[in-house]
Amino acid sequence: MQSDSGKQADQTKDRHILVALDRSENAKKAALYVADFLGGMPGFRVTLLSIVPEPSEDYFETGEQRKAWIEEESSGAEKLLRNYREMLIQSGFSEDKVRMKVDVKNCPSIADCILDDQKKLGCCTIVMGRRGISKKEEFLCGSTSSTVLHCGKNCAVWVIE
Amino acid sequence: MANKHDNIRKEEYTEEELRGMMLSWLPPSRVPESVRIITDTSNFHMVDFDDVVILGGRPYLIRHCEREGRFTIDEQPKFWVKRAIDLTDGSKKVIKMVFHEKFTTSVGGLTFKFFRSPKKEARILDLVRGHPKFMQGFSVKDTEGNIVRIIDYIPGSTIDNRIEAQAKGHKEYYYNHFPDIFSEFISLVEAIKFLHDNGEKHGDIRRDHIIYGSSEGMYRWIDFDYNYWHQENMFSYDIFGLGNVLIYLAGQGNVTAWHLKENAPSVLEKIGQDDMNIVFRHRVANLQKIYPYISDQLAFVLKHFSGGVDTFYSDTGEFLDNLYETQKDLI
Repeated sequence: MQSDSGKQADQTKDRHILVALDRSENAKKAALYVADFLGGMPGFRVTLLSIVPEPSEDYFETGEQRKAWIEEESSGAEKLLRNYREMLIQSGFSEDKVRMKVDVKNCPSIADCILDDQKKLGCCTIVMGRRGISKKEEFLCGSTSSTVLHCGKNCAVWVIE
Repeated sequence: MANKHDNIRKEEYTEEELRGMMLSWLPPSRVPESVRIITDTSNFHMVDFDDVVILGGRPYLIRHCEREGRFTIDEQPKFWVKRAIDLTDGSKKVIKMVFHEKFTTSVGGLTFKFFRSPKKEARILDLVRGHPKFMQGFSVKDTEGNIVRIIDYIPGSTIDNRIEAQAKGHKEYYYNHFPDIFSEFISLVEAIKFLHDNGEKHGDIRRDHIIYGSSEGMYRWIDFDYNYWHQENMFSYDIFGLGNVLIYLAGQGNVTAWHLKENAPSVLEKIGQDDMNIVFRHRVANLQKIYPYISDQLAFVLKHFSGGVDTFYSDTGEFLDNLYETQKDLI
């Protein structure tokens, strides 16, 4: 049996992959890719991340409505990550190598929040899906995957389509 | 000018007092015989002409509803937005009561969720207090806690009315009037950057939300109560609005495919989809194809809002940098 300090040493040596997920089909593809590509391989650990951006108070008539929205989104994100965690474990990751993080925060840009978590967690790679949006949509709304690709520093970015 | 009512701030007024105050600002024949006093504006439909609303201890005599072109989105009267007279000093105000409107709308085939938020407008009024490029006012809570905004009325006209009246032909307009208007536009974009730098959106950037105050001789942004549920770039919709205003100003109005078909079919033949507005596909964005004397630098900026665009402005700072470059060509 491995000691706690031995486990910690393993965790330190592991390459830490951050998988940014939401409810989209492309996020699912990103999770499946990680399961398929890295499942069962030693030397990797994964954090499954879902960002719940705290919405502006302007969108709600009352603070209670806003709180209820955040709670509903957070619990939906937790459920989503639990499912993906189970999938990664089934693909060969050991339970202690797959962590989940639902990050509820003020988040003007989801991409900035993903990069912030990558930095805090010390992940060497970000994996995320891409919707393949139109030029017009990118113009009017921006693109999270493009922003992560352009602004990510000291990490690899895998964009799965 | 100071007057006898300047320092009046109290929660209760008698009808007699209010009628006396009205006589300072209205001819006797216009002073109503009885006055309804309102302190709770929750049901704004009930707030009517000649009512007096007491807000923050000041009495406001209600006049007409505001209509489009000034504070709203379509031609309907907006019953929650009223002109008023501050009975303590006679100043004209626009009073915006609470109306939590939510709707989704399609912009270029993409769905946006919009919210009308009194909190947002109140916050921005505080932020821009004293800023010469924004309407001025303040917010107070009525007796039920509704956030009512009291805005200084700006007598004047919207920027589009002034542009269209300025010159007979585009060439004369471009060389003789546009440089000054462009300088004004830059200062208006700088004002939006100020909002963005402070984490706020305007939310509804349109040319009829820029008012030229005839007495002060300057342009100001009005109406900040809209917010939209943004995605990755919280400011991109504002930037899109700024681009549309610039295209309008540079073209002395919107140049549409229909307009060209009717008036200049040979020019229309030279226009491709890449030259049209990236969202409003019937409007021409690459105006240099129509007006070849438009500077290359201005054409470069305009193309950022066309279907042929390869790179977008991700923030107002980038946009402004290119506007400053453009200004050098126009002087």
